[in-house]
Amino acid sequence: MVKYTIRRFFEMILTLFLIATATFFLLEAVPGDPLTERANKLPVETRAQLYERYGLDRPMMERYVTQMVNMAQGDFGESFVYAGQTVEGLLHDRLPVSARLGIQQMLLGVTVGLGLGILAATKRGRLPDYLVVGLSVLLISIPHFVLGLLLQKVFAGELRIFPSIGWPSGSQLWFGGWQYTVLPTLTGCFTYVATYSRLLKSSMLDVVNQDYVLTAESKGLSRAQVVRRHILRNSFIPVMTQLPMSVAMCITGSFFIESIFAIPGIGQYFVTSVNNQDLSIVLGLTVFLSLIYIVVLFITDILYALVDPRISMPGSESR
Amino acid sequence: MADCNVAATTAAGAQAELTPDDFRVVGFTQEEANRIDRPTISYWADAWRRLRKNPVAMGALVVLGLLCIMVIVGPYMRGYSLLDMNTADRNLGPSAEYWFGTDSLGRDLFSRVWMGARASVIIALVATAVKLVFGTLYGAIMAHFGGWVDDLMMRFIEVINSLPNLLLVILIMMVLGNNLFALLVALSITAWCNTARQVRGMIKQLKESEYVYAAEVLGASPLRIILKHYVPNMISILILDASTAIPNFIFTEAGLSFLGIGLTSPEISLGVLISMGQQTLDFYPSQLLFPCLILCIIVMAFNLLGDGLRDALDPKLRD
Repeated sequence: MVKYTIRRFFEMILTLFLIATATFFLLEAVPGDPLTERANKLPVETRAQLYERYGLDRPMMERYVTQMVNMAQGDFGESFVYAGQTVEGLLHDRLPVSARLGIQQMLLGVTVGLGLGILAATKRGRLPDYLVVGLSVLLISIPHFVLGLLLQKVFAGELRIFPSIGWPSGSQLWFGGWQYTVLPTLTGCFTYVATYSRLLKSSMLDVVNQDYVLTAESKGLSRAQVVRRHILRNSFIPVMTQLPMSVAMCITGSFFIESIFAIPGIGQYFVTSVNNQDLSIVLGLTVFLSLIYIVVLFITDILYALVDPRISMPGSESR
Repeated sequence: MADCNVAATTAAGAQAELTPDDFRVVGFTQEEANRIDRPTISYWADAWRRLRKNPVAMGALVVLGLLCIMVIVGPYMRGYSLLDMNTADRNLGPSAEYWFGTDSLGRDLFSRVWMGARASVIIALVATAVKLVFGTLYGAIMAHFGGWVDDLMMRFIEVINSLPNLLLVILIMMVLGNNLFALLVALSITAWCNTARQVRGMIKQLKESEYVYAAEVLGASPLRIILKHYVPNMISILILDASTAIPNFIFTEAGLSFLGIGLTSPEISLGVLISMGQQTLDFYPSQLLFPCLILCIIVMAFNLLGDGLRDALDPKLRD
């Protein structure tokens, strides 16, 4: 167990290093550099100083090594475009926004989705089943941004129930200002509703035909008891596999929604800074977002092994 | 045969007074026992038969057929130019003359929507083809060589997988610029990993299976084993893979173009049209409505067909 964890940990570091390297050289491959726009307006001597200030006058490999060493020490560097903007500051300001949006979407979406999945499976072949199946196909066939625009148009533009753009800040960063969050949350949660209702329904239908369900029924347990104690528990395994993926994706998954509702989150800034070729910021954000993703998956793997003894530890061959 | 019947009757708890004299032999030959009464149905015929019985999937197939025709002839049906401005007829609503209305430059939206749908579908198909071919080859190489080659190639996949998908796509689009080729690269670059993993798993499993072993022992050539055993087993996986990949690619293309990092204005795709429609949403909602509608219909048809295929190709459901 300990050996496995340590091995996975080192693999994680290696993966992060490879990601950082790939991102660095990918961005270096873009013609031009982040300072061009600012530097063009300046006299030649100042321009040279500006390049020196950001270290862009040095050769690529040297900058690569410096950047890697700094990042290993937790220093992601400063924005090339907005003076004084650091990755740490950015994460501090914007991460809570994206995180709150993602968490709200996920909580609402997964809860409703699981409820609908149970409904569809227990009422199989009847009206509720068809409604849920139809709804989930409809929901996964409408892109995020279309749905967002639609909700924005109807509830903010025509009915004026909710504000069309914006996000709570300051003391309301994590809690409060709900009217701003309703539409973005709704927009994003539908994917989860569709995914989880389908997933739970199909896995419940797999379990329904198992022998132990027949046994439970022939013992005389009520339908509700059979569903709750035998079917649901066993059909949760696929859901548990999907859930960490959702958690890992929930921060980066809202790029479109952040753009539509003008939410000052990580996603929006990422797109802007890639546009600006803001190397240190892009590198920092990429590494950080991948780190979240990898760590979540890492923890999940460990938890699985703890929860389900059938999953063998040392060889990752089983996957 | 007679003994057998006796056993069955007594076991069923019938009267105990039965003697062997109560039974007569009705005739039985080895030939009859070995005869196969039902016609042999190949896997594909069976899958097609089951797909045909599914009205939803067949409906989706018909819709897809119609869409295919419209995508080919639609842009030319009304005879309007796709790019030339017509200042007299700007921002018109749907009418007999312009079926879907016109955009802010007076161009016929009906022709443009179908042209956009053509671009989106072609992008999705090409990206899917790249994903399948590359993924299959990569997976097959991993499974065939095994050992350190397998480990190394798997590590590469893990690195790509640990980057949040959208992040990588945006990065690639930025590096290669806003054009069709860049979009195809960006879409395919992460997508093939999943195919490769599945193919690798499948081949590894098949290599160990008894019937492949039997075929080898009986002297079947490698080519025959590949064609008769590997390919048929993999095709159903690949078809399912494609049927989920196509709508995903259409979504991603539209989303990227919507954010302004996919294709841009002189090019026509559904994403471009939607992003143009969004700018005039408050005054002329029809310019957003029609591209969105076509996008949703295409994606929904693919999704429903995919669901139908999943049921039809699942050998466990064979009756």
